[in-house]
Amino acid sequence: MDLRFTEQQEILKKSARDFLTKECPKARVRELAKDPKGYDPAVWQKMAELGWLGFNIPEEYEGMGYSFEDLTMHIEEVGKNILPGPYISTVVNTFAIVEAGTDEQKKDLLPKISNGNCILTLAWFEENGQFDASGITLKAVSKGNDYVLNGTKVLVDSAHVADYMIVVARTKAGSGEDGVTLFLVDAKSAGIKTEVMPTIAHDSLCEVVFKDVAVPAKNVLGKVDKGWAVLQTIIRKGSILKSAESLGGLTTVVEMTVAYAKERVQYDRPIGAFQALQHKMSDMWMTMGTSRYLLYEAAWMESNDIPCFKEASMSKAYINEAYKTIAALGVKLHGGIGTSYDHDAPLYFHRAKAADTVYGSTDFHRELVAQQIGLK
Amino acid sequence: MDFRLTDKQIEHRKECYKVCAELEKKKPKNWVGFESQFDNDEGWAFHRYCAKEFAKRGWLSLGWPKEYGGTGDMMEKVLFAEARGYYDLAGSDIFGVSMLAPTLLAAGSEELKKEFLPKIASAELMFCELWSEPNSGSDLAGLQASAVRKGDEFIVNGQKTWNTGAHRADWAFGVYKSDPNAKKHHNLTFILCDMKTPGITVKGIPYMSGTHVYNEVYLDDVHMPAKYIVGQENEGWAVVNVLAGFERSNLDMVYGLVRGLEDLVHFCNENNRGGQPLSKDPMVRNKVADLACQLEAVRTLAYRVADQQNRNEMGLMDAAAVKVFASELMEKYAHVACDIMGPYGQVKHSKFAKMNGAPEYTYQGCFVPIVSMGTNEIQRNIIAWYGLGLPRMK
Repeated sequence: MDLRFTEQQEILKKSARDFLTKECPKARVRELAKDPKGYDPAVWQKMAELGWLGFNIPEEYEGMGYSFEDLTMHIEEVGKNILPGPYISTVVNTFAIVEAGTDEQKKDLLPKISNGNCILTLAWFEENGQFDASGITLKAVSKGNDYVLNGTKVLVDSAHVADYMIVVARTKAGSGEDGVTLFLVDAKSAGIKTEVMPTIAHDSLCEVVFKDVAVPAKNVLGKVDKGWAVLQTIIRKGSILKSAESLGGLTTVVEMTVAYAKERVQYDRPIGAFQALQHKMSDMWMTMGTSRYLLYEAAWMESNDIPCFKEASMSKAYINEAYKTIAALGVKLHGGIGTSYDHDAPLYFHRAKAADTVYGSTDFHRELVAQQIGLK
Repeated sequence: MDFRLTDKQIEHRKECYKVCAELEKKKPKNWVGFESQFDNDEGWAFHRYCAKEFAKRGWLSLGWPKEYGGTGDMMEKVLFAEARGYYDLAGSDIFGVSMLAPTLLAAGSEELKKEFLPKIASAELMFCELWSEPNSGSDLAGLQASAVRKGDEFIVNGQKTWNTGAHRADWAFGVYKSDPNAKKHHNLTFILCDMKTPGITVKGIPYMSGTHVYNEVYLDDVHMPAKYIVGQENEGWAVVNVLAGFERSNLDMVYGLVRGLEDLVHFCNENNRGGQPLSKDPMVRNKVADLACQLEAVRTLAYRVADQQNRNEMGLMDAAAVKVFASELMEKYAHVACDIMGPYGQVKHSKFAKMNGAPEYTYQGCFVPIVSMGTNEIQRNIIAWYGLGLPRMK
C-alpha cells in the first residue's frame, strides 16, 4: 500500500492547474455563465491539443490511453478551478463508446472526440425526475433500418452545442431495466429541438424534444433492450469522476475560506481567531479528508478492474453531501461578501448543487448501496 | 497510488480473523463490549487471556521496528485491529500497546525501551494513564499534581481522575508538575510508575451506564524513581503530545461498527414493522446506507493514517481528525440503530435484548471516545491551529 500520488499524477495535476489558471480565470467563468454556448471553443481546442479529450481513449483511436486513476486525479484538479462546459460529460460518455461501441462506432467517433471535434452528452433524465429504469419512457420504435424516437429529455448537459447524444430510450413495453436501449444520436438530426433551461449553476442543461427522429439501427450503443447495463457503466465511472470534480471544488472552498478568515479583521483580530468559526473550518477540513480517500479507493479499484459499484456509489453519495455542506459553509463564513454575484464562493455553491444530480443523486446512490450491503 | 495489500498482509488478516473468531466463542456471558474488560473480574480475566493468545503470535508488537520484535508494518496492526473490533474482543491493552509502546519507540531512552517493550509485547504488564485532574481537563497543561525531585527519585503528590482501568493496571504513565517556577508547557515531567507503589489509592467512579471503567487516583508521597522519566525532565508536555497522537489515531473502537452494521442489516431483514420487513422501508434503507458510506470513509482514512505512520508522516491534525470522525460515527450509528429498533432501542444486554443490546451499549458508550483523549472540541482546536494555521487562542 502506498497512498501517495505517482510522479505522473503530480505532473498531470500541475499541468491542469497551470493551464486553467491561465485560460479560465474566475472572471471568464462568470462570463461563460452568460454566454449562449456556455463554453469556450478556443479553450476546448487547446485542451484537445494537450490531449485532455483523449486521456481515456486508447492509443489506436488517437487517444492517450491513460489509466482511470490518472484521469481521476486530473479531473480533481479541473474541479478545483471550475471549467464551464461539456468536458466531464464528453469524457465520461466516451467510456460508453470505448466499452460498448462497435468497431465502426469507435473508428468514427473516438478520433473526433480526441481531436476536440465531437462534444458528447447523455440524454437520460425525463420530466418524472426519476433515476431508475422506470423513469425511462422516451420511445424508440424500429422502422426499416432506423429507429424512430419520440419523447422529451431534460437537464441534458450542453445538448445545444453537442455533436452526439447518448439517448436512453425504451424499445420494449414495460418499465424495467430490460427494454432500455442506448442510441448514439447525431445532435443535428431532424426533429430534435433543444432549449437551455435556467439552472442554479448556469451550466447549459437543456430540454431536448425528440419528434419522429430517425436514428440508423447501426447507432444502437451496446445491445438492443440491454442498454441499462451500459448506462450502469456510465453511472459507475461518471460517479467517480464527477465526485473527483466535486472533491476538487470543495478543496478550493476550504482553502479559500481559511485564507479569508486569516485576512478579514473584525473586533481588532482576524475572524479566524474565533472558535465559533475555527470549529466550522475544522469540520470542513475533516469532511474534505474523509471524502478524499473514499474517492481514491474507488478510483484505484476502477482503474484495476476490481468491481467497485458499491464504492463508486458510496463516493458519490458521500461527496454529494460533503460538497453541498462545505460550499454552504464557505458562503456563510465569508459573510456578506460571500453572497454577492461577483464573489467566487457562490460559484462553488451553485456547482455543488448542480453536481449532486449528475450520474445519480445522493438518495439514488444510497439505494444502490443499500442493495449491496445486503438489505433485502 | 496503491491500496493493494501484500500477500503477507492478506495472509495475516486471514489468520487474525480466524484466531479472533475462536476467541469470540470464549467470551464471558456478561461481556458487553470494551468496558467489560475493566468492569468485572471475568471481563478482566478474558482480556488477559486474549492478550496472552495475541502475545504468543507476536501481535501486540505489530508495527514496531524489527529490532524491537515487530514487523515494521503499521498496516498489519490495522488489520489486526479490524479483526479484533469485528469480534468485539479485548486483549490489546489500549494504554500499553496502543499508546505507551509507540511513544517509547519515538521518545524513550534505550533503557526504558529494553525494560518495558518486551513486557508490553508479552502482555505481562497492563498500563493506565494518570493525566486529567479535577481542575485540569481540557487545559491539561495547567495540572497541579507535583513531583519534587529528591536525588534519583521524585516525590509525587496530588489527585488524578478519569483513570480508565487504574483499578486493574499494573503500571501507569503519568504527567506531573516538576518545576512550579518554569513556564507553562516546560514545567511537566512524564514518569512511569508501578501501581503497587505505596501512597497510591484508587477509588472507582461509576460510568453513566453503571459500569466500573474509570477511577480517581490519589497520590500521597509516592516515590517514583527518576529512571522512569520518558523524554526530558520538565519537558513532559512534548511527550504528552507524542502519545496523544498515537492515542487519537487509534481506530480500534470503530471497527466494531463493521460488525454492528452487518448486525443492523440482519435485524432489518428479519424484523417486520407495519406488515413488512424493516428493510423494505425506504427511510431505513437510506439511513443504513448512509452509515455504510461513512464507515467506508473511516476505513479508508485508517488506511491512509497507517500509510502515513509507516513513513513517519502523520501530523497532529490527522490524528485529531481520525478521533473526531470515528467517535462521532459511533454516536451516529447508535442513534440510527436505536431509532430503527423502535422501543427495543433501550433494552440492555440480556435475554430480552435484540442485537445483543449492542446499540443501547454504544448509545451511552460513545461518550468515552468523544470526551476522552481531549474532547472533540479540543481536537477541532488542534485541527484549526496546526492543520489550518488559524490563530491560536490565548
